[in-house]
Amino acid sequence: MTRGVRLVRYLQPRVEGDLRSLLDDHPWLHQVAGALGSPLNLVLPDQVARNAERFREVYRAHHLSGGIYFAHKANRSSALIRALAGVGGGADVASLGELQHVLAAGFAPERIMATGPKSREYLWLAARAGVIVNADSVTELSDLAGIVAAHALPRVRVMARLSGFATTGTTVLSRASRFGTPATGTAPLWDVLAEHRDRLDLLGVAYHLDTVGLPEKAAALDGCLSAMDDAGRHGLNPRAIDIGGGFGMNYLADAGEWESWTSELTAAVLGRRPPLTWNGHGYGLRNEGGTVRGTLGVYPAHRTVAGPDYLDRLLRTESTAHRRPLGELVLDHLYELYVEPGRALLDQCGAVLLRVEDVGDDGRGETLVRVAGNGTDVGLEQHGVLMDPLLVPRGTPAPGGPAGVYLTGNLCLEADLITRRKVFLPSRPQPGDLLAFANTAGYLMDFSAGAALMQPTARTIAAYRSGDAWRWCLDDRYWPVTGREGTR
Amino acid sequence: MRYDSVTDMIGDTPLVRIDAAVHGLRNIDLYAKMELFNPFGSVKDRAAWNMVRHRLPGAAGRGETVVELSSGNTAKALAVIAGMHGLPFRSVTNRMRVPEIKDLLLLLGAQIDELPGRSECLDPTDTDDPLTRMYHAVSADGAGYLHTDQYFNDLNVQAHVHGTGPEIIADLDGRAPDYFIACVGTAGSSSGVARVLRAHDPAVTVVGLVAEKSDFIPGIRDIDEVHEVGLFDPGTYDVIEAISSDEAIDGLLTLVRRCGTLAGPTGGGAYQGAVRYLRGIDAGLTGRRTAVFIVCDRVESYLSYLRDRRPELFRQPARANSVHSLTGDELAAAPTLDVAAAQAWIDAEQPLIVDLRSPFAYRALHIDRSINIVDDRFGEMLHGGLPFSRRQPVLLVCPVGEKSARYAALLTRMGHPDVRSLTGGVIAWRDAGATLVRD
Ligand SMILES: Cc1ncc(COP(=O)(O)O)c(C=O)c1O
Ligand SMILES: Cc1ncc(COP(=O)(O)O)c(C=O)c1O
Repeated sequence: MTRGVRLVRYLQPRVEGDLRSLLDDHPWLHQVAGALGSPLNLVLPDQVARNAERFREVYRAHHLSGGIYFAHKANRSSALIRALAGVGGGADVASLGELQHVLAAGFAPERIMATGPKSREYLWLAARAGVIVNADSVTELSDLAGIVAAHALPRVRVMARLSGFATTGTTVLSRASRFGTPATGTAPLWDVLAEHRDRLDLLGVAYHLDTVGLPEKAAALDGCLSAMDDAGRHGLNPRAIDIGGGFGMNYLADAGEWESWTSELTAAVLGRRPPLTWNGHGYGLRNEGGTVRGTLGVYPAHRTVAGPDYLDRLLRTESTAHRRPLGELVLDHLYELYVEPGRALLDQCGAVLLRVEDVGDDGRGETLVRVAGNGTDVGLEQHGVLMDPLLVPRGTPAPGGPAGVYLTGNLCLEADLITRRKVFLPSRPQPGDLLAFANTAGYLMDFSAGAALMQPTARTIAAYRSGDAWRWCLDDRYWPVTGREGTR
Repeated sequence: MRYDSVTDMIGDTPLVRIDAAVHGLRNIDLYAKMELFNPFGSVKDRAAWNMVRHRLPGAAGRGETVVELSSGNTAKALAVIAGMHGLPFRSVTNRMRVPEIKDLLLLLGAQIDELPGRSECLDPTDTDDPLTRMYHAVSADGAGYLHTDQYFNDLNVQAHVHGTGPEIIADLDGRAPDYFIACVGTAGSSSGVARVLRAHDPAVTVVGLVAEKSDFIPGIRDIDEVHEVGLFDPGTYDVIEAISSDEAIDGLLTLVRRCGTLAGPTGGGAYQGAVRYLRGIDAGLTGRRTAVFIVCDRVESYLSYLRDRRPELFRQPARANSVHSLTGDELAAAPTLDVAAAQAWIDAEQPLIVDLRSPFAYRALHIDRSINIVDDRFGEMLHGGLPFSRRQPVLLVCPVGEKSARYAALLTRMGHPDVRSLTGGVIAWRDAGATLVRD
């Protein structure tokens, strides 16, 4: 038995505040899952509003103004969107459908930023509604100008997304982006904006980099400052810099667990300990003649600096070109700063519940737990996030202490595992128990949910406090006044 | 001593005894192998030279670029050697974390490519990680790269098999030490020396030191990262122990302050790790033993690393006239003017208007007739005293009126009778519709 305990490698999720209180309420969880079935998504609209406030505090500390545009793509929930509309937040939409969704949720047009690949319909509605269009290319800007002219629409505020920033000193390499005009060749951009001056109003320049690397983002912000200056010299009047999203999330409660798990994975890949993953999957690491090769291809689940703290760190980073903190340079220029956080705004904003259907052994010494849901319902594997679910027993927990199990889904596919990592639970689950995947609102909830094999897709409910008790309603029934009748 | 080429000076480094009064071991003689005496400053000079020397003839004619994954001493040595032979040098790294080393490499003419960070929105099906891609690109034949591949190249180990190891035995009068302690980066030096010592005397104990996980000691790897090193064979070491950056700095301080040895952090780590390991053994010994550790490089390149971790070592006297010394009362009493009052004052008194924002921002837009002194430079000037006459009225402006209020309070304390800060700063000025110009 002691040997078994030594092999336990928890990656316990970081669960705090309201989410912790909700997930500790086991009878409540069983009641809603019993009524609405598995899988079931929970979202906490009040929490997203608090997260927006934490970003706002960073702005205040740097004396900066400008919009915080929630990247809608991270979650489809209406409750979350409406909660943000209720506190004066902004929304970054990436499709015609998302634009319609946020307009209906009550966002004022100047609080909406249209990004992503754009159809003509999407451009028309954006221009008609008067939202900010964050343009990926010169062609997109001339298409937009054409639509504005042809339909006699009012002048549209636009941001020009840039990519491929030059660096000074060392060459900071960055993954190539499919989006944005090269920052090293902006002349055609200023030309098209000058030509359509009465149709397009250049609000500023933008970037979004898909990286956790601060030096890359610092280089991009530096590049935006130069581009703004350049635009000014071309007679344009830009006022804002949009630095996109990617502020990140810390998923795990304990840095030590993450460090020892990753060490043990290395040892397992080298064959020095029993596997910690399905079929010895290495998550990008492989054994070549006793040496580990490859790179661990997972999300850095434990991060000491994430979300608003990451923004703060970026703003304090010194510009290599101007030897002054980037935040101060933005302020010196009197520019507004826009951000588009997705994942980071959804910290502690939700969970996915899956019911345990069956628990058995695979004949090779591993325990398999089949759940009523699959890998599209909780996207741990798809997004490379490694963490344990919380066990919500229905009755008395099974004796025998901690258990390491593999979670299989409800699709008739060999590859349908909720995560290829062996997860660890305080006791062996039993049919009827629930597994709560905490802190999954950002990208891990309904990003790619579909109805494969006609299995049910999750319902989403919004949970809110009423005094000490938790109440809920269906996601699309939630409005910022819900449950607050007493206060009008 | 006369040499034909600076590369002839590589190796033959001294072995120096550490005073027992410093390390406190009663039965063990502890020696430092002074690799910091190599001409380009580190143990890596040996490996760098051994990996490229036979490939240099004709390399310039073929237009080759020397390339290595290194953010430290190997890059430094290769940059110098490449420069001497008319070759460009390119260093690819994801860990260029010591600014002095980065600047030194740029000074030596190296091109430094920093790899991108991990993807924030991960696509696990994308196995194309930048390091692997880079590795394939520089390793391909005919790609124009002279890739030294220090983590996998046996010539790295051979440099120590033929140099460092035999030198230690010779300096100990033909005996191998009982204990050999070294930090592990590429594992080249420790593996090469261990091989020679064991062949001479199989009883030698070899201690490998790595950094604690999620700690950072420039030049060496942590316990996971060593497994990515092709030259690393756990069988080389009798013991592998982790040291923290804190311990490495403690050791560095002992070496630089008490032993006249200007060692960098890994030299300090090797010393501290050696004493920590040997202390337990020393107590039970009856006869005399000998131990050797490696001092890999010098302290000067790590000043900012040390300043970050031990700011108290660099304590400086408080400077006169500093905004940090202002009291709450002084700040509250800072003389200020709102936009309308400031405009009237400018018309009536023509104060000197000092804009404290960055020159870059000032150039784009500013209050007419203002001059620009960026805040930190202005702060520097005030340490020396009032930079303008007491009879000259002064209006200070910054973006939001916060810094300008601090400096107005400070100038008032310094005895200037007529200094004001613009409330709300240039932003309030702009929002009130007052004129801003671009010269
Ligand atoms: C343009 C843009 N903005 C913002 C985001 C949000 O990123 P995150 O959720 O990492 O903050 C994305 C994500 O793909 C994006 O493409
Ligand atoms: C400062 C410093 N110390 C120690 C080492 C470790 O030496 P080796 O690579 O031979 O293991 C290195 C190597 O990069 C180094 O730069």
